[in-house]
Amino acid sequence: MMAAVELRDLHKTFGAYTALERLNLEIEDGEFLVLLGPSGCGKSTTMRLIAGLEEPSSGDILIGGKRVNDTPPRDRDLAMVFQNYALYPHMTVAENIGYPLKVARVPRTARADRVRAAAAKVEMAHLLDRRPGELSGGQRQRVALARAIVRTPRLFLMDEPLSNLDAKLRTVMRAELRHLQKELATTTIYVTHDQVEAMTLADRIVILNDARIQQIGTPKEVYERPANTFVAGFIGGPPMTLIPGTVTADRFTHETGALDLPGQPDGPAIIGARPEDIRVTAPGAGDLDGTVFSSELLGDATLLTVRVGPALVAVKVGPDDGRDMDAPVGLSLDRAKLHVFDGQTGQRRD
Amino acid sequence: MRQTAATRATLIACQLLLAAFVLLPFFWMISVSLKPATEPFAIPARLWPEDPTLANYVTAFRPEFRTYFLNSVIVSGASVAITVSLGLLAAYSFTRGQLLAVTALMSAVVLAQMFPHSAIIIPIYRMMRAADLLNTYTSLIAAYVSVTLPVAIWMLRGFLMKLPVSLEEAAAIDGAGPLRIFWDVVVPLARPGVIATAVYVLIVTWQEFLFALSFTSTREMRTLPVGLNDFIGQYGIRYGELMASSVMVSVPVIAVFFVLQRYFVAGLTAGAVKG
Repeated sequence: MMAAVELRDLHKTFGAYTALERLNLEIEDGEFLVLLGPSGCGKSTTMRLIAGLEEPSSGDILIGGKRVNDTPPRDRDLAMVFQNYALYPHMTVAENIGYPLKVARVPRTARADRVRAAAAKVEMAHLLDRRPGELSGGQRQRVALARAIVRTPRLFLMDEPLSNLDAKLRTVMRAELRHLQKELATTTIYVTHDQVEAMTLADRIVILNDARIQQIGTPKEVYERPANTFVAGFIGGPPMTLIPGTVTADRFTHETGALDLPGQPDGPAIIGARPEDIRVTAPGAGDLDGTVFSSELLGDATLLTVRVGPALVAVKVGPDDGRDMDAPVGLSLDRAKLHVFDGQTGQRRD
Repeated sequence: MRQTAATRATLIACQLLLAAFVLLPFFWMISVSLKPATEPFAIPARLWPEDPTLANYVTAFRPEFRTYFLNSVIVSGASVAITVSLGLLAAYSFTRGQLLAVTALMSAVVLAQMFPHSAIIIPIYRMMRAADLLNTYTSLIAAYVSVTLPVAIWMLRGFLMKLPVSLEEAAAIDGAGPLRIFWDVVVPLARPGVIATAVYVLIVTWQEFLFALSFTSTREMRTLPVGLNDFIGQYGIRYGELMASSVMVSVPVIAVFFVLQRYFVAGLTAGAVKG
């Protein structure tokens, strides 16, 4: 069943507050699309509009080519996993998973088979008689997922489904979600504020901020070519270092130094460098000079935070290249991987 | 908060004192009901009868008592069922409805419960007479529903407001329509509230005297509180039988309360959403 989703000029206000501003987006059939952004950016509102839990102030929502603005949630043929799971506390796991089928009047025996199959997919088949109150967070999350997949809807909506799990379980569930989505090949829209989740799960990421789309692209695209300083600072952990300064005659001057920046127009600019694109040199030998603020061993690498003037610059070095606190160091930026943004608009220049 | 032994002892003493104060009339009622006819006024007064007897109960449990009891069960039972059903529907729309008039309507509900029974009994009596409903169950049930419904709506709304809206949204996405969501999700989860409200309506209607006395004119239609009046005669009060009847009137309500009190404490929403 085709379930491409299209949002046309979708606009949503709550009183004087604009939650979503004229959003245009096309989601392909079978795609795993992640809506990423900080709290209040409009990502959950977008999802709730698609689900039919909110009505748009203006604009259109199309699912499978059909306008669904006036279709109630129950007729949109979609399943949703809520951030707080929203399991029915008075029903057993089996009743929870089977509820969409019961509502759809699927006969009892067929229902039981499908419940068992869905529960088995999320490894919950042995806990069918429990109630949600007797389950751990990870198990509840799985039940919520099973309830979503039990009736093969044409669209999955997931609203930060992993945010209530501990870090270890989140990594496991992330991999399972990705696997499950590919196996079912169901169009999925996934909301999160966790950029690692977005990078690892998505076919495409939509980055939202202040009710507007900042960039749409594959994880690789948004990481390697962030459209503006917001995306540059939001994607990647630790985030890209952004240094404001001025370009004059192919030379970029900033508070603590200068470096050659050929081919850029004169005027204010912001340069950005990812932690892995910065090398540590002897003091005075690089583009920037600073002192080590902290040195954290991550296992496979060491994360150095260097104080350069008022700013802190994150640098990724080898696991054995840690430094002492307050040690003076120089930093050299990989020219080929330097990002240049407009000093006024924050938009990418190249 | 940490409590010292002295604070705890004082608290417990205060609680015991309060309990004694509240329970003394009940104790006296039971005590008098077990005393022979001559003893209630014996001097010096005894806390507990010297020679307890069930004679008062035997006399009190006469055929009229059984009629009154049945009438009370019918009137209270119907009032509970109707008030809780209407109350739950009204409270749900007051909780989730998006009517602009919700605040005004809710204020009207609050206002409605502020009228004392004595102030509304005459208009209701005239309405019942006009509708030719006096001396029927319907008149009492209608009056009881009208006086208990505002508080019931208020109580149920308090419970419903605590239910996470995401459960209803989940049901909507699972394919359920509004009525189905109400029946499958809201009603089961509102059960502690429904039971608490039902107990409230039961207590109010079971002991109601003024309407029952005014609206019923024959013994066949009387309820228990009015029936107790039978023991108060022109020339004396038969305290032993009166108290024995009072015990028998109180027992069902107390029993219901004890059986159901766990619902006031137990939260059924445990595990519904990550808290």
